[in-house]
Amino acid sequence: MPRGESSDGARRMINIVALSKTFGSGATAFTALTDINITIRENEFFTLLGPSGCGKTTLLRSIAGFVDPSSGSLTIHGDDILSKPPYARPVNTVFQNYALFPHMTVAENIGFGLEMLDRPKSEIRSVVGEMLELVQMTEMADRMTSQISGGQQQRVALARALAPKPEVLLLDEPLSALDFKLRKEMQIELKRLQSETGITFVFVTHDQEEALTMSDRIAVMNKGRILQVGGPKDIYDHPAERFVADFIGDTNFVTAEIQSLEGDTALVRLPSGRQIAARSAPDGAVSGPVTIAVRPEHATLEAQGALLDGLLKNIVYFGTDTHYHVMTQDGSTFVIRRQNQPDAAEDHKVGEQVGISFNPGVAQVLRD
Amino acid sequence: MPNGVRTARRRWLLLTPALVILLFAATGPLLIVLVYSFLTPGDYGGVVWTFSTDAWFNVVVERDFFDDTLSFADAHLSIFWRSVKLSLVTTLVAFIVGFPTAYFIATRPRETRDMWMLLIMVPFWTNLLIRTFAVMEIIRNEGVINTGLIQLGIIDAPIQMLFTEFAVTLGMVYVYLPLMVLPIYASMERMDFSLIEAGYDLYASRWRILRKVIFPLVKPGVVAGSILVFVPALGAYVTPRVLGGGKQLMLGNLIELQFGQGRNWPLGAALSISLLAIVMVALFVYVRSAGTQEGRHD
Repeated sequence: MPRGESSDGARRMINIVALSKTFGSGATAFTALTDINITIRENEFFTLLGPSGCGKTTLLRSIAGFVDPSSGSLTIHGDDILSKPPYARPVNTVFQNYALFPHMTVAENIGFGLEMLDRPKSEIRSVVGEMLELVQMTEMADRMTSQISGGQQQRVALARALAPKPEVLLLDEPLSALDFKLRKEMQIELKRLQSETGITFVFVTHDQEEALTMSDRIAVMNKGRILQVGGPKDIYDHPAERFVADFIGDTNFVTAEIQSLEGDTALVRLPSGRQIAARSAPDGAVSGPVTIAVRPEHATLEAQGALLDGLLKNIVYFGTDTHYHVMTQDGSTFVIRRQNQPDAAEDHKVGEQVGISFNPGVAQVLRD
Repeated sequence: MPNGVRTARRRWLLLTPALVILLFAATGPLLIVLVYSFLTPGDYGGVVWTFSTDAWFNVVVERDFFDDTLSFADAHLSIFWRSVKLSLVTTLVAFIVGFPTAYFIATRPRETRDMWMLLIMVPFWTNLLIRTFAVMEIIRNEGVINTGLIQLGIIDAPIQMLFTEFAVTLGMVYVYLPLMVLPIYASMERMDFSLIEAGYDLYASRWRILRKVIFPLVKPGVVAGSILVFVPALGAYVTPRVLGGGKQLMLGNLIELQFGQGRNWPLGAALSISLLAIVMVALFVYVRSAGTQEGRHD
């Protein structure tokens, strides 16, 4: 197998093995990253998703070279880059605050990387022109960066980082400073740029929706650890841990007990005594009490005597869908989301006894 | 009365105290000096109210005491030259020392920066004479450096440092250094340090970061610091007097001489105006060149 090639055929780009980072020492030591292992593939839109302080930015900055990891290895195309300073790594960063040079024009900002690489003036001029066109900023070329809007600054920051044609583009919450509408536009724009340039994007965000809509794969992080890596659908439908299930979308947690396990299917017993097939968690429990997760839209409201029974406590109308809050026998609330049909009459009443049902294989057994 | 007029009047009212002080303490004396430079010196100092351009003539030309032949006033010209030269060297050295100092302080954790700035400022609050004599104590023949070197057996006889141009420059750098550090630090503190990361990320080496990112951004501070050091250095009086020992005269000393022992007030006045003119021209040239570089596009 050639170097950098994984068994699934996609070429490996970044390989991170057992990476850890501790800031400070002694009693004030803070562990920002613990045993990080990821492989990022070529031409991939890879997202690091997690709440603030989860270590995602520290991980990104380790790739960029602004953070020196305490241990572990980090290779790009097989080259160890941890020993290299930021200016010798084949990566460029789009900073959260853009960090555009205020004493240069838009065009000078975009050309800066190539100028530092001592490329000929003619080449710089043509690449800058290309980049300006790519981000639709050609008319703004001679403006100072203080004379353009936030969204335009964002585009310039992107163009500046893309101009030297890095192997990897690192994006540190680049959309967080933009307003809602502009953010939606830029999400589509970023996807377009990624597919047009074919550059591997490593994107940091705390916005789960942003991660789901843009990424090829997502690594969910919390407290300096990677909890789960997978495609958006995989992460959403089959969260491995309670934190992942809770952080991404809405989830119902139900206590259950594993009866038997076959492959990745576990037969679980619900509090009602009924049994149903659920997806087991990799490296999860093989028997005994566990928590299972069920997405609100994956469950349906039935007559009493279903998988779980309970009292309908609340009906909340949201326009596109309606939420039913059911208090189950053990006192916890289970939410069911149903998409609304035009002019459909509400056939349930608050206070009635109802049942909850979901298909075999829908529920996900959580690791913790 | 329209509101705009009232606001404008109030604004002028607020400015009045400053204008009065400016008029009586700056513009007025300056005019007197200008007028005196066109009068005849009195026998015992002061002026005689007879119009004369001799003083201005004497700034650059000397009339021989015995045979009335004219020659360049070498003494004056060499003092002019020394003043400009030492002031430029002082400014340059202050920049070379002050820039890294300001960078060092600006990159400390926020809590400790004030402490570092205080260390820079403490000497500045000390009396100028005391500071100058302190330098003297260090560099004089029996001073700390020479005694130390002799004790260590590195030299046999003391190195003459006091009463040289070196001594004057050293003293001026020491005295004016805070004036360089302060404005550079102020513009550095405002600088967004993520720009340095952006530079590193975009393949710039340390040296190029300094030249292409940091320096252009703190240039206003460097310009301000250079002016703040150069202008008072050019007119320095105490430092060259004490550390130059009457041998390394600068313009300030020459002017003082005319008002004192020389008893030639008009010449002193003409020299003062000349000093002012040099400062104005130097500032004009400096700010112009600094300004054009700023707006340059290549």
